[in-house]
Amino acid sequence: MPFWAGPLLRILTLTVMALAVGIFLDDATGWALLAAGLAAGYAYHLIQLGRLTRWLDRTRWEKAVEVPESSGEWGDAFAALYRMRREEQAGRERLSDSLERLSQAAEALPDGVVLLDTMMRIEWCNSMATRHLGIDAVHDRGMPITHLVREPAFAAYVQDEGKVDPVVLKNTSPPVRTLSLSMIPFAESGRLLISRDITAIELADTMRRDFVANVSHELRTPLTVIVGFLEGLAAGDIVDTPNLARHHALMYEQALRMERLVKDLLALSALDDTQPPANEEVVDVPALLAVLVEEGNALSGGKHKLTLEIEAGNFYGSREELRSAFSNLISNAIRYSPEGGDIAVRWVLRDGLPVFEVADNGIGIATEHIPRLTERFYRVDKGRSSATGGTGLGLAIAKHVLIRHQAKLEIESAPGKGSTFRAVFPKARLS
Amino acid sequence: MVVSDHSSRRFDEELDELRTRVLQMGGLVEQQIHDAIEAFGVGDFEQLEQIENDDHRVNAHEVGIDEACALIIARRQPAAVDLRMLMGISKIVTDLERCGDKAAKIARKAKGIFDHEMRRIPCISDIREMGEIAVRLLRAALDAFARQDAVGAAAIVRDDVAIDEKFQAITRQLITFMMEDPRTISVALEILFIAKAVERVGDHAKNIAEQIIYITRGTDVRHVTWDQLERDAKGDGENA
Repeated sequence: MPFWAGPLLRILTLTVMALAVGIFLDDATGWALLAAGLAAGYAYHLIQLGRLTRWLDRTRWEKAVEVPESSGEWGDAFAALYRMRREEQAGRERLSDSLERLSQAAEALPDGVVLLDTMMRIEWCNSMATRHLGIDAVHDRGMPITHLVREPAFAAYVQDEGKVDPVVLKNTSPPVRTLSLSMIPFAESGRLLISRDITAIELADTMRRDFVANVSHELRTPLTVIVGFLEGLAAGDIVDTPNLARHHALMYEQALRMERLVKDLLALSALDDTQPPANEEVVDVPALLAVLVEEGNALSGGKHKLTLEIEAGNFYGSREELRSAFSNLISNAIRYSPEGGDIAVRWVLRDGLPVFEVADNGIGIATEHIPRLTERFYRVDKGRSSATGGTGLGLAIAKHVLIRHQAKLEIESAPGKGSTFRAVFPKARLS
Repeated sequence: MVVSDHSSRRFDEELDELRTRVLQMGGLVEQQIHDAIEAFGVGDFEQLEQIENDDHRVNAHEVGIDEACALIIARRQPAAVDLRMLMGISKIVTDLERCGDKAAKIARKAKGIFDHEMRRIPCISDIREMGEIAVRLLRAALDAFARQDAVGAAAIVRDDVAIDEKFQAITRQLITFMMEDPRTISVALEILFIAKAVERVGDHAKNIAEQIIYITRGTDVRHVTWDQLERDAKGDGENA
C-alpha cells in the first residue's frame, strides 16, 4: 500500500461525511465539519513534524537520542529513520574497530613507523618509533621530523630524493644502538619513515669479520715459517746438515700447530650445534681425569705439581666432549703457570652439584679480560699466548661443551694470585 | 607551539625555516662532539682529522643563520615572542658554534697526544663518560628548542652540575698522576685541556637551555637560583 493511500482515504471519508451532513442538515454545518476535520489533520501533521525537527536538532549534539514513535505514515517514516540510524551506528563501530585493529597492528610491529605529511611533518608514530627516535606521538604532532632527528646524515638523506639505500644512524647517547632508517612514499604525497634496530646484525657482522680475520692470521703464521724454509731449500741456501735438521724440526712443529688449529676449528663447528650431544653415556669421570692428569704431567715435563682430588663419581654425558673440555682447561692451567706452580684438579660435590675445577697459582688474569676469555682467539697477552702453543680456541671449545651439558663456567682470577676455572654441572647428570 | 598565527604566512615559514637551520646546525655539532670523544677514546686518527676539517661547516651555518636573523628583523620588525625567538636564536647559534670549536679542539689535542705515542693515557674512560653526559645535555637542549619546552630546558640547567663534578674528579685524578710521575705531566695537561673542552660543552648546553626559557617565557634566567628558574620555566606564560 503506497503511503498516500491512508491520508487519501481519511480525506475521502471526511469529505463524504461533510457532504452527508450538508445534504441532510444544512450547508454551513457541512462546511464547518470539513474545515474542522482538515484543521485537525493539519495540526496532527504539524505536531509530528515538530517532533521530527526536535529529534534532528538534538541528534546533532547528543549521541543516543531515541527516534520518536508514531503510527500510520509518520510511524513508517520514523521506523525508516530508526533503521538508518542503527545501520549507520553499526557501520561507524565497524570502522572504528578496524581502525583500532590497524593501529594495534602498527604498534605490534618490531620496527618504528612514523607517518609524515608533504612538509615532512609528523602525523603519527608508533611506540617503537618513540623508543628509537624519541618522538612523542601526542606532543610532537606537526613537528618537522628533521627537528627531532637531527643527524647530518639523515638531513642529507631527506633532501636527496633519489635515495635508495636506507641511512644508518648510530645513537650518540645511550642506549647505544644502530638504526637503519628508510623513507617510503605512500598515497599522494605522504611518506612513511621506518626505523629498524640493526645493532644485533651489526654486532654479528663484526664478530664474523673478526673471526675470519683471526683464522686467516692464525693459519698464515705457521705457513709463513714453512714457506720461508722451503724457499730457502729450493734456492739451495741451506746446505749444512745441522741447520737442516733444526729447520726440519721447526717446520714439523709449525705443521703440527696448523693441524691442531684445524682440528680445534672442526671441533668447534661440530659443537656449535645447540642440539645436545647424541652419544651420551655413563662416563667414568675419575678414570678419565686420571688419564688427563697423566697427560698433563707429560705436557708439563715435570715442571708443575699436579694433584687430583676425586669426590664425585660417574657422570652422564658425552665422553669425547667432556674429555676435550677438561683437557683444554687442564692444559691451559699448565701453560699459564710458571715453573714449579701447583695445579689442583678436582671433581667434587658442592651443595650436591657435581663440580669440575682446575685451580692454579699462576699468573692470573685481570678482571677486564675475564668476560671475553671464551671468545674465539681472544688473547690476554698477544706476545705470550702463541708462544705457549695454544690455538686460542681451547676455552671456546670448553664453553660450548659445558653449554651442551647444561653446565655453567665460572672463572675466578686475580693477577699474580692464580686462576680457578670451575664447571658446575646439573645434579641430574650424576649417575 | 608558541609561534601563533600570523597574518603573513610567509613570515611563519621564514621563522620555521630558521628553526630548522638552527636544529640542523645543532645536529652537526652534536655529531662532531660525539665523534671527537669517541675517536679520542679509540685513537682513530683519520676520524680526528675529519672532525678538524669539518669545523668550517659549523662556522658556515653560524654565519648563514645570523644573516637570516638580521634579515628577518629588518624586514618584518617582529615583536614579542617572535623577537625573543630571533634574539634567542642568534645567541643559541653562538653557543653552538663554540661547541663546534670545542669538538675541533678535542680532535686537535687528541691528535697531539697520539702523535707522541703515549702508551698509557689516564682518565680516558672518565672523559668518555663526561662526554656522554655533555652530548646528552646538548641533545636535550636541542630537543627542548624544537619543542619550545621550557620545563625540559630547566632540567638541563640543573643537570649541568653533574658534568662540573665529573670535571673536578678528573682534575684531582690528573694531579695525582702528575705528582706520582712527573713524566706524565705533559700528557696530563693535554688531557686536562680536553676535559675542560668537554666541560665547556655542558656549559654551552646550559646557556642554550636558558635562552629557551627566555624565548618561551620571556624571563631572563641567566643569573637566578634554580628554584626561581624552575618556577619561571613552569610559569603560566603570561608573557608568551
